[in-house]
Amino acid sequence: MAAYLLRRIGYGFVTVLGVLFLLFVLFFAVTDPDDIARKAVGERARPEVYAQWKKNHGYDKPLFLNRSFGAYDAGRYTQTLLFEHYRSMLTFDFGRSDADDSPIARRLWEGAGPSLSLTVPLFAFGLVLGVAVALFVAFFRETYIDRAVLVLCMLTMSVASLLYIIAGQYLVGMLLKWFPISGFDPNAAVMARFLALPVLVGVVAGFGADVRLYRTIFIEEITRDYVRTARAKGCGDARVMVRHVLRNALIPILTNVVMTIPFLFTGALLLESFFGIPGLGALTVEAIQGNDFSTLRTMVYLGALLFILGQILTDISYAVADPRVRLS
Amino acid sequence: MARTGVLAALAGLLAFAGCTNNPYPDADRDKKVLYSSFSEAPKTLDPAVAYTTAEHVITGNVYDTLLEYHYLKRPYQLIPGLAESVPEPQQLGDGRQSYRFKIRPGILFHADPCFALSQTGRAAREAVAADFAFALARIADPAVNSPVISSFAEVLGFSEFSKRLAELRKGDAAFAALPVHEQYKRAGGIEGVIARGDRELEVVLAAPNAQILYWFAMPFTTPVAWEAVATYTGRDGRASFTDVAVGTGPYRLAVYEKQYRFVLARNEGWYGTLPANAAAPGVAFPTGIEPEDVAEGRIDPSYAGRRMPFVDRLNFSRERENIPRFNKFLQGYYDEGGIIKESFDAVIQGDRLSPQMQARGMRLDKTVEPSIRYIGFNMDDPVLGAPAGERGRKLRQAMSAAIDTNQYLELFLNGRGVPAQTPLPPGLFGYDADYKNPFRQHDLERARQLLAEAGYKDGIDTKTNTRLKLSFDTSATTAAANLQFEFLARAWRQLGLDVEIKGTTYNQFQDKIRRGAYQLFIWGWIADFPDPENFLFLLECQNARSKSGGPNTANFCNAEFDRLYRQMKDLPSNEQRAALVKRMLAILEQERPWIELYHEEDFNLSHAWVINSKPTGISYPAYKYKDVDPEIRARMQAQWNAPVRWPVYVLVLAMVALTVPAVRTYYRERL
Repeated sequence: MAAYLLRRIGYGFVTVLGVLFLLFVLFFAVTDPDDIARKAVGERARPEVYAQWKKNHGYDKPLFLNRSFGAYDAGRYTQTLLFEHYRSMLTFDFGRSDADDSPIARRLWEGAGPSLSLTVPLFAFGLVLGVAVALFVAFFRETYIDRAVLVLCMLTMSVASLLYIIAGQYLVGMLLKWFPISGFDPNAAVMARFLALPVLVGVVAGFGADVRLYRTIFIEEITRDYVRTARAKGCGDARVMVRHVLRNALIPILTNVVMTIPFLFTGALLLESFFGIPGLGALTVEAIQGNDFSTLRTMVYLGALLFILGQILTDISYAVADPRVRLS
Repeated sequence: MARTGVLAALAGLLAFAGCTNNPYPDADRDKKVLYSSFSEAPKTLDPAVAYTTAEHVITGNVYDTLLEYHYLKRPYQLIPGLAESVPEPQQLGDGRQSYRFKIRPGILFHADPCFALSQTGRAAREAVAADFAFALARIADPAVNSPVISSFAEVLGFSEFSKRLAELRKGDAAFAALPVHEQYKRAGGIEGVIARGDRELEVVLAAPNAQILYWFAMPFTTPVAWEAVATYTGRDGRASFTDVAVGTGPYRLAVYEKQYRFVLARNEGWYGTLPANAAAPGVAFPTGIEPEDVAEGRIDPSYAGRRMPFVDRLNFSRERENIPRFNKFLQGYYDEGGIIKESFDAVIQGDRLSPQMQARGMRLDKTVEPSIRYIGFNMDDPVLGAPAGERGRKLRQAMSAAIDTNQYLELFLNGRGVPAQTPLPPGLFGYDADYKNPFRQHDLERARQLLAEAGYKDGIDTKTNTRLKLSFDTSATTAAANLQFEFLARAWRQLGLDVEIKGTTYNQFQDKIRRGAYQLFIWGWIADFPDPENFLFLLECQNARSKSGGPNTANFCNAEFDRLYRQMKDLPSNEQRAALVKRMLAILEQERPWIELYHEEDFNLSHAWVINSKPTGISYPAYKYKDVDPEIRARMQAQWNAPVRWPVYVLVLAMVALTVPAVRTYYRERL
């Protein structure tokens, strides 16, 4: 298992290097550092301000080769944007925002809390509800309950998530007046008041896809011999569904769930933006809108990193969930 | 397990029973707090740099200025703020001019740990003339990168100080390592900025500039404590000066979580609290209230002469999106708001508030922004511009007459704008409400005739017998923006011209402008201060983009216009100046470097509990004039926001009704 993990991490590291190269091409070769600087300091900034800004943000170096160094001088390769890009990303030294000069690490730290406060309950409620409803409809498969829930799932899957947000804010916040339409307060005592609506909207938006997936998994399990055996031995329905079907369906569910966990840190782009939650999703949207390339680069890199981490975690979780699986 | 489920359901129902959509703590219900919102997080609170609306909301209320604008008078009028009076220019010979500001007594900076540096043993200190001089030196400092550095170029020795500072820093590492106030001292300061004792600041101009006074009504020139700049360096774990605000204003920055909220709290040490300053124009609510403001419910006359500010706390929450912001305003959780496109018809009927909104006690105030949206011609272009001579002029006139601004405003802005006849918006000196620009009246026949006179009959170049092809460069690629550009291009296509819209990103557009690779472009301008000079300088040859990289993107150069501009800009607003402005506008009428589209009109909504809310048009601090009635607000909010709970009970019953028969049937069949 250890050898497998090491190999898996090694593959992941190579993938990260590839992702970083793609990022470099996208953010430096396609976007001119001069444009980034001009956007940040303004069109009418004096040349010395412009040059200083580029220096402060490390955009004053050549892309691949530094010709001011000799042919065999290490500086030829290390004093370049490419090297600096790899160094900063691999050491998690993300530098400062192109938009407001604030340290990106601080922004990430500040945004992680609000993001997690939204995504963790959203994930937990979504998972519990999805699994519970899927178990329920799988149990009542081929009845009108099953068909009604499937129709409901199709309906919820057919609606764009932005519409859920706007409709949710209007229906629950404006018409029913249950929760604030938007806002955030880090005070734990009142935070739930602000998170209730985005969590509700997020759960409803993801409901259809989750239930359909889990239902399919459960129905496949229900038809297996061990279920019939369990019933023949006199197991009750609840016991069969929870102790046998649910347990044996864990692997495909885990595939879906564990991949999601790392992304809880990156937040939810639309939900955070519309509900005024100052998390990492909103930070990403803001970076896109404000041409904040350094922050955007960091967020894309972290997204890729978390994706790779999610894959490794999924593999490990297989082994944990099913003793028959051996990682080698 | 079943018992746990029931308990959980009961707990859920109990929690639900306490639900409310009020985003604020109940404890604040009866307090004098004004609630507002912002969409973009401020990038900087450095008063020398802060320029956006969200930034000015903070800097304008936390930092006081020497001069201010009269809250009620239109056209805008300067009044003393921290200065005892609005100074008159004194002629010093050699064309030099001086302004002497007498500074009021008892102006204290907000209490802040940074004042430990001055070793007075106090948490705050008095603001003195040297602090104003320090602020001006910071504007001149190239490292600060103030966006208004060029506006002070006429201050004697300003540019020289700037250059000296840059050279000293470049050539002397030890100098560059000094705290900035030490650097400024050693660099000799700005020759024309003289602190005469603690309470007099003299500003000497190398050449007359009547507009300079407006800059002293903006937060850029507020007194800055050197201790704050020296302390908040952003290094060694300290906050950055861009994220703190140590001012002298009526409010202090109490909470600054810029990603989602900031709170300004009443400054108990404000100079206005001193009896000696109680009647100062920046402290006492103005008298001489216009009857119209009273009749419209904007101003409560009982406030005349009362000491400001009236609200204890200003609470700003971030709303990135328009729809939630507007909905929260409708719920009464924001005291003031604008109107979003999506709800325009529900809020406005005709040009008034809809009966529904009127029934809520809401008030609508319209104000024309001192701004202009225009289409510019690149006057360096051989077809459209000056090189084409009379032919080019007629072509520009024809294209100008083809645009129907009224229809444009109706289609894209819900009519929220005033069709522009000249670059000058209403409310400014030189604006003539009766003037109709002959080339800004939509007249397709006239446009076709002018086009034929230009040698492009029906859009065909009579010399080459080919259709005239023009490119319209834009800096937006969204579907909504494209519709607007299509509308304009279609008007020209009706004349027979072949106009291609070249939509690019903002950066690519800027690049085109830098390279001069454009023919037609659409742009806008919002005035820094309410004076015709702040619009007409956009067409001065010295500011031509192709010559100096200046803001004259049309590259318009007209010797007579420039001569009149130089005469006009330094004159006080009198008849002679009015005549000069008129002659300049007449040149623009014929030459048509711009097609003036419209001056945008703001529709501001405020609730019945907001008192003394008069739209300012230009960006200046106005919160100290406003008041709220928390009792009315609490009553209205409770009335508008009583939760509707029955759908939950119906939903639970429906689910039970749906499930129980299935379960029963299932078990019956199994048993």
